[in-house]
Amino acid sequence: MTADKTVVVTEGLEAKSASRLSVLGFFMALPPMLLVICFVGAPILIAFTFSLGWTEGPNRVVSIIGQEIHKKDHWWGTFSAYQDVFHDSRFPGDLRTTLLVTTISTTMVLVMALGIGIYQRMIGGRLASIMTTLTLVPLFVPVVIASWAIHTFYAGDGFMRTIFSHFGIEFPTLTSTSTAIAIGTIWTSLPFAILMVTSGLQSVPDALIETAQDAGAGFFRIIRTVLIPLALTPIVIAGTFTAIGIMGSFTIPLFLGPNQPTMLGVEISNFFGAYNRPQQSIVMAFVVFTAASGIALVYIWANVRSAKQSGRI
Amino acid sequence: MLKKKYASVLVAAAVASLVIGAGAPSSQAANKNVSQTVRLYISADTNIQDLWVKSLIPAFKAANPGYDVNVTFDLHGDHDAQETAKITAASVLHKDSGVDLIDGGFTTQLGLAGLLWHPTPGLVPNLRDIGKSVLAAGKGGIPYRASSVLLAYNSTNVKTPPKTLDDLLAWIKANPGKFTYNVPSGGGSGYAFVQTVVDKYLSAKDRTTLAQSINKPLQSKWATGLETLRSLNVYTYGKNGSYPANNAETLKDLSTGLVDMASVWSDQFASAQKAGTMPANIKVTQISGPAFTGGAAYLGIPSSSQNRAAARLLANWVLSPTAQNLIVSGILNGMPVIPVSKLDATVAATLADIDVSDLRPTYLSANANDLKSAWASAVPGK
Repeated sequence: MTADKTVVVTEGLEAKSASRLSVLGFFMALPPMLLVICFVGAPILIAFTFSLGWTEGPNRVVSIIGQEIHKKDHWWGTFSAYQDVFHDSRFPGDLRTTLLVTTISTTMVLVMALGIGIYQRMIGGRLASIMTTLTLVPLFVPVVIASWAIHTFYAGDGFMRTIFSHFGIEFPTLTSTSTAIAIGTIWTSLPFAILMVTSGLQSVPDALIETAQDAGAGFFRIIRTVLIPLALTPIVIAGTFTAIGIMGSFTIPLFLGPNQPTMLGVEISNFFGAYNRPQQSIVMAFVVFTAASGIALVYIWANVRSAKQSGRI
Repeated sequence: MLKKKYASVLVAAAVASLVIGAGAPSSQAANKNVSQTVRLYISADTNIQDLWVKSLIPAFKAANPGYDVNVTFDLHGDHDAQETAKITAASVLHKDSGVDLIDGGFTTQLGLAGLLWHPTPGLVPNLRDIGKSVLAAGKGGIPYRASSVLLAYNSTNVKTPPKTLDDLLAWIKANPGKFTYNVPSGGGSGYAFVQTVVDKYLSAKDRTTLAQSINKPLQSKWATGLETLRSLNVYTYGKNGSYPANNAETLKDLSTGLVDMASVWSDQFASAQKAGTMPANIKVTQISGPAFTGGAAYLGIPSSSQNRAAARLLANWVLSPTAQNLIVSGILNGMPVIPVSKLDATVAATLADIDVSDLRPTYLSANANDLKSAWASAVPGK
């Protein structure tokens, strides 16, 4: 009898504390939610209405100062600013450069991160640890400084050209090219990707690898069928974060890239500042936003997949 | 023991409150004098900050006892857009923008939007010494100093520099990879080269129109000049239609010998040579037919300013010969906006080789923004 009573009491207490916890959890989550709604969500919404030609209310000031402002001619607005951008001869080149640099750099970053990660996981040892630590160094170098360092390294009077000219070889000037943007973005994105990927690969149990080895699987087969599938979620997350970061980059394409075509981050800034066309710059920002949302979908898919695997949903 | 500690804390608190209390009346006294403090917003490079903080403001305070200047400095005008929006919003809402006098590139933009107080010689007497066209281009801005873009060349490699724009264009083609100018949206020296080439195909009347009013149809006449600039892509430094990002990079390319010729700001060049970062064998000259643009930098008094009288006093003083002497001879190596004859003879002598009275004006900011955009569409990488 007594035992029964105890059980009832405990369950009652647990139920109570659970409901209390959920209220507490709600209020703990509230500040960041409010912050995002007020300082990110609302401005995005206001900017979106401005891109559609809503020039009153919160958009009044910017439409007094800006040039080439389109005012709405339907109840819902106008697509004139969007037409401006899509018919601008610079836009296709900028979009192509942005997507190309993002794709190439992200692929390179993932390949390199996997290389280091697999080396550390499968072979390991002191050298692997030293190498992994060294690859994290760029994490502590500010992007502006890194960009200038890369600039002086590959410029017309830079280190590479100087060294090669001693041997009578004409090394190409890489600054002001998309190649330089790719080098810069890979350099700055690599540490985070390596952190994610190596920790993902480390969490694959030794037992699975050894079992595969016992069953006669070779080095590459283990990588392909055991390591990568089991670490797929962190790899995908590293890839999406890298891609979104590169797509929105500004400093590196500004310092290292060509004047035209350039990446959209720089072009948005040009349109907003130098050409004083805020509406068109917002339209471009929404193009980047849309492309980044596509990448974000992959990120969500990866998270859902990992949640399913661990039985959370 | 513990009590003693509490006691000492209490004493300290009492002393602190006394000190704060004693401080209060004096800060109230300062508030009474608020109308004598000009809130100056500077959006420029450090050489302009030095001009104000190290030479103009101390001299102004000495000449006008009781007045003070509070400086807000924005390096390279990084926050121009925000500041413009803030001042515009303040004007629309009839509130104080926190700025009484602006020294920055966005002054004329505010003037165009009708947000500047329009100065009159009645209230700013020294305006009488200033050329009408320079004043008109300000749209309410008060011109206070000028600088010009010049052609810098490496005298070791170039014995006879070009004298006209046609000569310069011919030289660029004859010496591939040895000339450069920076992206017009990145700095005024490159912008001046672009506008000068474009102006070559425009009549004098058209040039004046673009300098004074927004005119979209006239902008179509830029096409020939932009095509000329595009054809230079294979002859400029890099030979691939890429250009330095800003004024500083152009100066660096000159000083390191990557290029033999480039367009530079007169004041930045002079400062670099004084500082020793520009070798002595790099010299400057002006071209003609047409000449590189130059122009005034404008001060603006926002119509929302709550301290207009003091701002006017400072603006008027900056136009006085005393202040203009400081602009020319001091840290900046700038050019005056008042006639050279009003300056000190020794100061005027340093300006002998540059014709100050004949600066070719830059376009109105709205047209200039459109030219920067048109250049980016038509020239680089094409």
